[in-house]
Amino acid sequence: MATSTYLSNPLVTVNAVDLTDQCSAANLTRVIEALESTSFGKTARVYVGGLENSTLTLTIYNSFAASETYATLAALVGTSTTVTIKPTSAATSATNPVSTLTGCYLETLPIVNAALGALDTIDITFTGGVYSVATS
Amino acid sequence: MIYTIASTRLGIIGDPYVPADGINVAALLSGGFIVEQSTPKPKKPAKTSTEPNEEI
Repeated sequence: MATSTYLSNPLVTVNAVDLTDQCSAANLTRVIEALESTSFGKTARVYVGGLENSTLTLTIYNSFAASETYATLAALVGTSTTVTIKPTSAATSATNPVSTLTGCYLETLPIVNAALGALDTIDITFTGGVYSVATS
Repeated sequence: MIYTIASTRLGIIGDPYVPADGINVAALLSGGFIVEQSTPKPKKPAKTSTEPNEEI
């Protein structure tokens, strides 16, 4: 059976700013916390869904130039914002849905991650917020 | 408050920017991605040279 080929080339925005050309990895994981509801008489643990706590982790090339990475992220640490990601830069559709975390929190921002002979890259994680997906 | 786009990472420079739900406007201002435009004041009515009781 043939499978569709999907080359990773997502479009990423952070606080509405397009950081696609500064981003080399993105990992959006939808998480709904598991609350254990196992009771006496059960022979296996059982769970119910709790609060949603999704995360988006991005690997970004650090840049202190105007309108680049640092300018986008510096004022977001310790605040909530909205991030979006969709598989490709093509128009939003059922086969190219845009996922949004509204009100997600940026707890940490590495300022410098320098190594000799390497580009400065940082990993940032947005946590929480309301997950939604749009196809149009 | 009216905002104008100041970076191509956000859109077309010079276009008005209306922040969507959840967008941190302070961070956009701080990063120089948008600029604030003061709301234009309503123009004062033109002064007339006629006296208030003068009939035209």
